[in-house]
Parts: sequence; C-alpha cells; structure tokens
Amino acid sequence: EKADPQKTAFLLRKAWTLYSVTPLYGFCRARLRDYARLLGAFIAAEKQKGLAVEVGVELDIKVALSSLADIRGSELDQAALLVQLSSRSRSSSRNSEDKPVWLGWFCSVFGDELSESVPEHFTCLPLFLSHGAESYTALVGSWFQKTFDCCFRRLAISPLNLSWMVAMWAGCKLDRAASAVELVFSVPRLAQPLDISYAIHPEDAKALWDTVQKTPGEITHEEVDVFMDCLYAHFHRHFKIHLSAAKLVKISTAVASAHCDGIVKILHSQYLPGVLMLLTELAISQIQ
Amino acid sequence: MDETVAEYIRRTVLKIPKDEIKMMLQKWGFLSEAQLQTLNFQQIKDNISQEIVQLCEENSADIKQAAVLDIIYNHIYQNKRMWSVYQMKKSGEELEYFDITDFKKKFKRRLRSALKNVTITFKEYEDNAIWIRVAWGTPHKKPNQYKPSYVVYHSQTPYVFISSSVLKSTLPLLCQALIVASNYHDIREMELRSHSLNSLKDIVFKRYSQNFQTCTPKPLQGGNVEPENADIRIVEENRSEKERIHRLNQEVFGSGPLPQLEFAQYRLETMFKSDPKLDVLDKKEPFRCLVKFSSPHLLESLKSLAPAGMADAPLSPLLTCIPHKARNYFKIREKKGLYPESFVSP
Repeated sequence: EKADPQKTAFLLRKAWTLYSVTPLYGFCRARLRDYARLLGAFIAAEKQKGLAVEVGVELDIKVALSSLADIRGSELDQAALLVQLSSRSRSSSRNSEDKPVWLGWFCSVFGDELSESVPEHFTCLPLFLSHGAESYTALVGSWFQKTFDCCFRRLAISPLNLSWMVAMWAGCKLDRAASAVELVFSVPRLAQPLDISYAIHPEDAKALWDTVQKTPGEITHEEVDVFMDCLYAHFHRHFKIHLSAAKLVKISTAVASAHCDGIVKILHSQYLPGVLMLLTELAISQIQ
Repeated sequence: MDETVAEYIRRTVLKIPKDEIKMMLQKWGFLSEAQLQTLNFQQIKDNISQEIVQLCEENSADIKQAAVLDIIYNHIYQNKRMWSVYQMKKSGEELEYFDITDFKKKFKRRLRSALKNVTITFKEYEDNAIWIRVAWGTPHKKPNQYKPSYVVYHSQTPYVFISSSVLKSTLPLLCQALIVASNYHDIREMELRSHSLNSLKDIVFKRYSQNFQTCTPKPLQGGNVEPENADIRIVEENRSEKERIHRLNQEVFGSGPLPQLEFAQYRLETMFKSDPKLDVLDKKEPFRCLVKFSSPHLLESLKSLAPAGMADAPLSPLLTCIPHKARNYFKIREKKGLYPESFVSP
C-alpha cells in the first residue's frame, strides 16, 4: 500500500543504522503513552547514574511513541512504531520548542514469513532503523530488550545483497534527473589500502540492466550476476584489475544508498516500500 | 598594532602544535631570543598565544610580518593543502637569467594594477623554491587574511604549484601575474593534483627512479617474493608466475620509492563491449563512467595489486602512465580504427 508521502518525508535523506529485532513479547499497541513515560524515566535514571550522553549540558529528554499506520506491506504486517527523543534545555523558557535529538523506528514490510511462525502475544517488527547518537540507541535498545524480552543485532549487508540492491535500483524508472549509480570497493589487505569508486551514468546503467532483465517485475540471481559481471568486465578491460576480488562496501543510486555496515539512506519516496521490503527480508534472515 | 593583525597572529599560533611553537618563532626571527626566553610554554596554548601577541605588540608587528609567519607554518605543514600543478610556456628559445628582485617587482606591480587591496609576501627556500602568499581583498574591503592563495615557484623550471584560495575569481589574476613576472607568455593547468607537494615535484621534475627496460632478464632480487624454503621437498606453486609479475612490476614502476599521490580519476567515455552470447547492451553510444582510485599512497598500492592476485600483470597503461605523464586526471575515449582495444587520453 502506498504510504502518504507527506507523512513519510521525514524518513527520506537520513542515514539510518539498521538492526534486526526478534519478536516483542507482551507489546500492547494501546499502551504507547505508558511506554513513552517508562522509557523517559529509564533514560533519566541512566543519566543520573552517570551514563550521561552530553557532559555539562542539562538536558531533559522527552520521549514520544507513535504508530505509522502507513508503513506496512500487507494487513498481516504490524504498523510501524516510531520512537522520538527530543530535548528541552532546562535553562530555556517554557515556550521553547523541543529539539529532536534521536529517531528510531520499528517496521515490517511483507514480513509474513516471520509473523506467521510466531505464537500469540508476540509482535513482529523485525527491522529497526535509528538515526542519532549511538548512546541513545543503546539506551532505547536496552529498555526494549528488558521490557519485551527481545534482541537487537546490527544488520550487516553482504556484498551479495549490495549487488542485488544496486542491480534492482539501477533499473528503477525515475521521473527526474537521477544521480549516478556508484559502487565503492575496498581492497584493505594491501600494504597501502586502496578504495575504488566506480560511478556509472544512471541512464547507461539502466540501459544495461534493461537488457539483462528478462521478465519485468522479476529479478533472478543469474540476472544480478550477469549485470555485475558486465560491470566487472568493462572495468577489467580498462584497468586489468579484478574488481570481483575486491570487497563491495557501498552502493549508491538515486533510489537509495547502502553501506555494508548496515547503514542505509532512502532518497525517493516512491520506492520506500520496495526498499523496506528488501530490508525486512534481510532482517528476518538474520533472525532465523 | 592593528587589532586584526593581533587576532591573525593569535589564530596562526593556535594552529601550531604546542611543542613546535618555539621552533617556528625562531624560524620567523621577528621576536628576539631574549623575548622568546620570557615565554612560558608550559601553559595552555591560549595563554601562550596571548603572550606572543603581546610581544609582537611590543615590536609593532604589522601584517607583512604576520604573513611571513603564516608562510612558515604552511611550508612546514604543506601537506595539509591540496596543490595543483601549472606549467608555463615561453615564446622564444632564450633562457633569460632569472632575477628575483625583478620577478617580485613585476609580480607585485601586475597584481596591484588589477586589485588595490592585496597582501603579497615572498619567502625563498633552499631548493630554489620561491613561496608566494597572496591575501585577496576587493576595491572596498581589506584583504581577507584567512583565505590566501599560496604559490610555489621553482625559478629554474616552468612549473608552478598553486594552492588556491577558495575565492575562485582570484586564480586568473594570479596566473597573469606569474607569467608577466617570470617572462613567460602562457600558463596552463596540468591534470595533476595532490596533497603531497614533494610528490608533485618528484613527478614533474622526474626525481623518482623511472622504469628501465632490461635487455636480459635480471636474476631475482628478493623484494616481493618469499625467500627460498630450506626443505627442497616443498615447491612453491606458481613460482615462475610470481617471478614474472615481480619482474614486470619492476620494469613498470622501477625499484625505488614512488611519488606519493592520493588519488587518480578517470572519466571513461568508451564503448561497452561484452560477450555476444550474453545478449546484453549493444549501444552505439559510450558507456559513461567515472572511476576514482584513492589510497594513502596510490602508486605503491597499484604496484601491489598484481602480486596480491587482484590484477593482471602488466597492469594497464592507464594506471602505470601516471608518473611519467604527470597527471592524475584523465578523460578516456575509444581510439577509432584498427585497434579498438586501445584507448586515447586527450
């Protein structure tokens, strides 16, 4: 289902760190206000203990939890859950606005594979995305882990999956001028490490993909391999370097960019569901 | 002493690492040894800097002297800046005797005729290098001392190394002044850029060990290949291949230290070619790509690719030509005619 672009605009053009999350036990959608209060208290208590995020600055952290009904694949998916941390400096006046400090959201887009297999009382939201200081992510994560007996794990993206992403997204039709399709490789084990950025004009990358993909709407392993082999061969022809032996660490297209450490930026609202679906799948693979 | 000069000196000193401040002030020579003795280098840098400003006040420092301190700092920390290389061309054959006083006079006159508000400072170094610092103003504003351009001119060569100000419009003025002052008639930017000024000099002055063709295959000299195993029952696989790669690398890259570049960029406008069996893209137009290689020491890194199994030996001439073509920016087009596999770089 199409998400309202207005409501989801804040998700775009931000670097999100990805995690897989095991199903939450005893989560109740009606209790979001309670959870926000409890999480807020937890954060305040941790700061008192000396685990303060910012030294010397007096900040009250306010927590807000909300549902993003539009972000789901099918009716079987849970609606996404958004956690917002904002700060209000104690020294400023009552009317001053809260400053957003950290954002995190749980979602499931066509995550039926998982939700079908869990018993009652479990809520499946396998993909978690965070933006903001790592220390806040740790606080929020540990509260959820304690409260709902779940487990967060960083979601790394393998070169194989990065290849899928670049092939898929290079082929996307875009209405306005697109940015280059870029693949970034790293050759770390040399005495002097080498990074290689290979950027292809988006029209030319799409033209190549269009001749590789045999059935519109479907992508096979073989097609992704052929696409990548073509790019490797073109590179080898010029530089005599075997790119396939290097490590693919980051890909970037007009639709989205992804880094092997599990960091993603979504750039185009039209493809938001598609990207989330792929990421949900990766998260579920990591859980199982 | 002008407040802006005081502030400029203060900020310049703050850039210097604490344990190098005394040395740099001595190089500067503006404060006497006696004055330097009064400084307490055990305090925090903020305080040291304030004390230095006070001493400069006593000596009535002006912007000219402050600019010299800035050159000294940038000469020592030259690798913090990005340098581009320019080559000047003479119209005639005669090599005129270089007169530094004449050069400075002409340079200043040319710049000042175009722009009243400039601060121009010169400093000469041992290797025939003339460092020039230019701070730019406008007809109505005093020069911005925090965004100067730096020029390094080796007077016995046609090469100039420029670390440009972010104020782009100043570059043409700078180039004009350089050719007028040095009696050349034209200047062009080479496609060669790096943070390592010395490496750029190594490349254009050909100061690195270049590749040499040997008539007879040289015996193995150690280097990239593992030493002989004591146990003769253990035979190294692919030994001859390893030796071949090593020899080719030596031929292409030489055996001495290579100039240190951090990147090379290739704009490819060549055709996409593939195995017809794959039934993929067969366009008549170029497959447009931009490839960028980066490394703390690019040439060493490229040299190690074939021995690591990452590349064929010999490596592509597109990469190995970097030092002797003195460029690290390339535009590659398909060469028309008999040999479609070869490329031209205009």
